Amino acid sequence: MKHLLNLIDGDKDIGRGNKFWAGFFLVLICFFLYPTFVSSFRASNTAFYLLNIPMGFGLCLIWGYCGILSFGHVAYYGLAGYAYGIIAGNLLGNSWGPILGVLGGLVVCTIISGIFGYFVFYSRIQKWIIPILTLVFTLLLETFFVQTSGYQWRVGRVLLGGFNGMTNIPFFQIGTFEFEGYSFYYYCLVIVLVLFFGLRILVNSKFGQIVIGIREDELRTEMLGYDIRFLQCVTFIISANLAGISGLLYVQWGNYITPSQMGILQAALPVIWCAVGGRNSFIAVIFATILLNWLSFTLSSQGNQYALVIIGTLLVVTMVFFPRGIVVMIFEKINKNI
Amino acid sequence: MDSHQEIISTHNLNKKFGGIVVAKNVNFSVNKGEFRCLIGPNGAGKSTLFSLLCGIEKADSGQITILNKNVTELKAFQRIKLGLGLKFQTNKAFQSLSIKDNLSISDNNFDIKKNKIAEERYQLALSEFKLKSEGAKLARELPHNMLQWLEITMILASFPKIVLLDEPTAGMSVEETLFTGSVLKRLNATGLTIIVVEHDMQFVKDVANKITVLHEGEIFSEGTAEEVSNSEEVKNIYLGRD
Repeated sequence: MKHLLNLIDGDKDIGRGNKFWAGFFLVLICFFLYPTFVSSFRASNTAFYLLNIPMGFGLCLIWGYCGILSFGHVAYYGLAGYAYGIIAGNLLGNSWGPILGVLGGLVVCTIISGIFGYFVFYSRIQKWIIPILTLVFTLLLETFFVQTSGYQWRVGRVLLGGFNGMTNIPFFQIGTFEFEGYSFYYYCLVIVLVLFFGLRILVNSKFGQIVIGIREDELRTEMLGYDIRFLQCVTFIISANLAGISGLLYVQWGNYITPSQMGILQAALPVIWCAVGGRNSFIAVIFATILLNWLSFTLSSQGNQYALVIIGTLLVVTMVFFPRGIVVMIFEKINKNI
Repeated sequence: MDSHQEIISTHNLNKKFGGIVVAKNVNFSVNKGEFRCLIGPNGAGKSTLFSLLCGIEKADSGQITILNKNVTELKAFQRIKLGLGLKFQTNKAFQSLSIKDNLSISDNNFDIKKNKIAEERYQLALSEFKLKSEGAKLARELPHNMLQWLEITMILASFPKIVLLDEPTAGMSVEETLFTGSVLKRLNATGLTIIVVEHDMQFVKDVANKITVLHEGEIFSEGTAEEVSNSEEVKNIYLGRD
């Protein structure tokens, strides 16, 4: 137990020590109390910001910690969402349907990312090609799903729906309890928390150290006796599953998914969250994902057409003035002053 | 165990990069506990031989044996796991990580039982090279000689039986070079097999049991420091005389 706490408090992410954790739990209490002050509708909107965090975590792990930029993590977001829709949709009325849908979604992510990762990492292609390959992969998936309109694209009784996407995807449920509104908010919050602590343990463990070694120098790490291609592949699969978790939460939240979720605009978003917050810090990714989602949601719900332009500008500003991420650099500044 | 047992050897090793021959029928062998130096003019194939031994480069033909095991078909990390350690010619310590992290990443002893001698070697390097007290420092804040020492210590953290050091004293002052030599000799005295590529003849004479001279990918001559340094042919290839 003490060992685990030490790993959680390890130095591979910003934010350590008693003061940080006191602040962390204070903010956490606010998050837990938040639904008591707002309507179910507002809580559900906020849940949308939370449900994107796992995908941000995934990118943070593969890009920030392992040094491999994936520009196509939304592929796994979409795949998991569609898989859940197909499985849970076909088992409509069966209380085990959503749980099987979740498992199915993660299995699909694991298999597809495993195959993709195998070819990418074992063929020893150069690192800078990987963002292009991942992007091409997600665009291919988008193109595939766009042409799935019509009655022939039916799995059991679920229509894939082409450009308009898949609709009537059931809520998540355990037994007879369906997660929507307030309960969905708490469900997302708990998942984000569990993943956060799990990932802190992971990156501070031996596995995390080796992964960071791979980021720093692949050849040196391999010449210390580690099978770096296998480890890169495993890290890629973990991060794809994190994106998959976001996809699952998304379809459980909105009950629909369209191919544009795997499009180029969506593909850029997690990269922006990580870059703006700081790509090698999970805590920074939490901040950035919530704030940027809130920003684009607020802007676009006010009819502002420039949401993406503003987010893009923010990315450029970050790259130029805060190369390690805004949240990370603010944290470092505070740390120095204390 | 017989101390004259071969611990690492190659049989008719060949390697070409395009039209350039970097290894030609190399039959190289080192005995257990030996301190061997590889010398030769630039482009003689010294570093390439290390790459071939470790599996970074795949030989065109020939066979490599490490600890009585044919490793020709094994991948680099699998050979390292058998008990090989390599220090690169250009320093490859993890610059942006702390010394502590550098050393703990290097410790890959998942399946090796706690080995008392290997642990002693590691502790010896750690204290001699004064790395223990600097644990929190980032590697990039270290002066060059300390970086070289760090990479040597990193290799020892993985409990190797054979270490390959490619120019371990490059960029060091005379005192630092001598000191490094003395520490390496103490490590060698514990039974560790050491193979070094080095240009500094003073250092080579000081540490080596035996010297192998490489020239244009071939083993040119082998012998003690005295034999090699008195050889007219060796002088000729160094000076570019045919």
